[in-house]
Amino acid sequence: MALLEGRRLSKRFGGVQALTEVDFAVEAGAIVGLIGPNGAGKTTLFNIVAGALPPGEGQVVFDGWPITGKPAFRICRRGIARTFQVTRPFGEMTCLENVAVAIVNRRPDLGRAAWGPMAMEYLEAVGLGALAETAAKHLNVIQKKRLEIARALATEPKLLMLDEVLGGLNTQEIQEAVGFIRDLRDTRGLTVFWIEHVMGAIMQAAEKVIVLDQGRVLMVGTPKAVVADERVISAYLGT
Amino acid sequence: MVKAIDNRWWLAAAVAGFAALPWGLGIYHQHVLIVSLFYVMMTASWNLLAGYTGQVSFGHAAFAGIGAYASGILATKVGLNPWLGVGAGTLAAAVFGFLLGVLCLKMGGIYLSLTTLGFSEILHIIINNEYEITRGTMGLQVPGLIAEYSKLAYFYIFLAGAIITLAVVHRLIHANIGLNFRAVQNDERAAAALGVDVVRVRVLAFTVSSALAGMAGALYGHYLLLITPQIPSLDQQFLVLSMTVIGGLGSFAGPVIGAFGLEILSEYIRAYGEYHVLAFGLVALIVARFAPRGLVGVWKQFMDRRRPAA
Repeated sequence: MALLEGRRLSKRFGGVQALTEVDFAVEAGAIVGLIGPNGAGKTTLFNIVAGALPPGEGQVVFDGWPITGKPAFRICRRGIARTFQVTRPFGEMTCLENVAVAIVNRRPDLGRAAWGPMAMEYLEAVGLGALAETAAKHLNVIQKKRLEIARALATEPKLLMLDEVLGGLNTQEIQEAVGFIRDLRDTRGLTVFWIEHVMGAIMQAAEKVIVLDQGRVLMVGTPKAVVADERVISAYLGT
Repeated sequence: MVKAIDNRWWLAAAVAGFAALPWGLGIYHQHVLIVSLFYVMMTASWNLLAGYTGQVSFGHAAFAGIGAYASGILATKVGLNPWLGVGAGTLAAAVFGFLLGVLCLKMGGIYLSLTTLGFSEILHIIINNEYEITRGTMGLQVPGLIAEYSKLAYFYIFLAGAIITLAVVHRLIHANIGLNFRAVQNDERAAAALGVDVVRVRVLAFTVSSALAGMAGALYGHYLLLITPQIPSLDQQFLVLSMTVIGGLGSFAGPVIGAFGLEILSEYIRAYGEYHVLAFGLVALIVARFAPRGLVGVWKQFMDRRRPAA
């Protein structure tokens, strides 16, 4: 069953048609990759789902609820968490406080004594435990991406939307990250919707891949089928 | 833990020492202290908004004016007890703050600054022209808070007002809502993505901040016994802004230091005319550019640098 579904989503920015009648589905418990060349509309699609952008036309349904055009904080509270491609840490706050923001808006009843250890667990899960009291602005790019994931997990989502979290990692680190994300799905029962340029990672982790090109769905299939497809190859390499 | 207890003792000692201060002073210096305490209320509450949520309002003096005139008009027209008037003034400022907040905080960014600037001017024009009610630039004569006028009594009333204001601010910034304030200030899109209702957080901060300004203004009016359009003026607004920025925007002690420092300083340089507001504004600009955390920030940096050496 589809946890997240988009129906005929279209979005226009001035003269640019960013998305054209995009239909897609993300099945509960799956890892679904979203790929496509630069400017294909991947992040726009994420922004519409997460409520960061109003859709032009079409509908988004999450867990049976129409969430089209709802404000971002409501969509978050419904169970969708997202990371940002260009990370957006709360720079002047510590890593622990960054994560705490996600916790206290889900559980306003918790005081510092309660959310402190909880936030620490999320930080430790992404390997930032030692930096808990460091201001987020002092983190490097990779650590900031980890913080994005820790904050997203702290909202206790059903659906985790990752926007290019592997950029800047070496081969071995990519392996670890893929293992970590599969683990999230397997142990926490998370559904993952994942934009990624690192094709190897998507090949390993995803059960299904959606390919966007120039704002349209080019194809949907297993990773194997997708990389073998002529249309996908020509979209990436140019014809 | 030991440090927290230490701090508490220091704070208690400082407040007690300060409370004993006016006994050794003449009437003029008592007046300066009272005015300083008024500015502490103004800067601390403006800092809650500007320093902790990043919303720069130019209407803070206007809200003080709403508090002062609401209480003053009720006292003169209806004969309401000035103490109840202070409550009414606080409430009136809160209501106006809430309404203005709902109207313009959805837009965010520069719009609050522009709207509050406009609001401030509109209020000024109304006060100047509704002579029958406000007595315009002549000023509205109002009764005092206590039957027998005494600077000493007013000092303690203003001290209590300042402590209440600081306690409210302290309470808010250390509660969970304080995390939301700072998250919104740092990055509102990221905050929204983590479940923060950004508009609600902003409206709350704006309403509380306006209410506290209203209380300060109402108390001030009943101290001066004459409410003039000077209270809700932009001069006043920029003085509050300068005090907060120079003292330390976004820090708890900064506004207090700025309020006392600049009020006392302005008493000394008053002889040179009203240019002191201009001078403070320029200093505030320079501070905002080169030391955005103000005097408190400079002090902290200094201490941090000394620590490894020690």
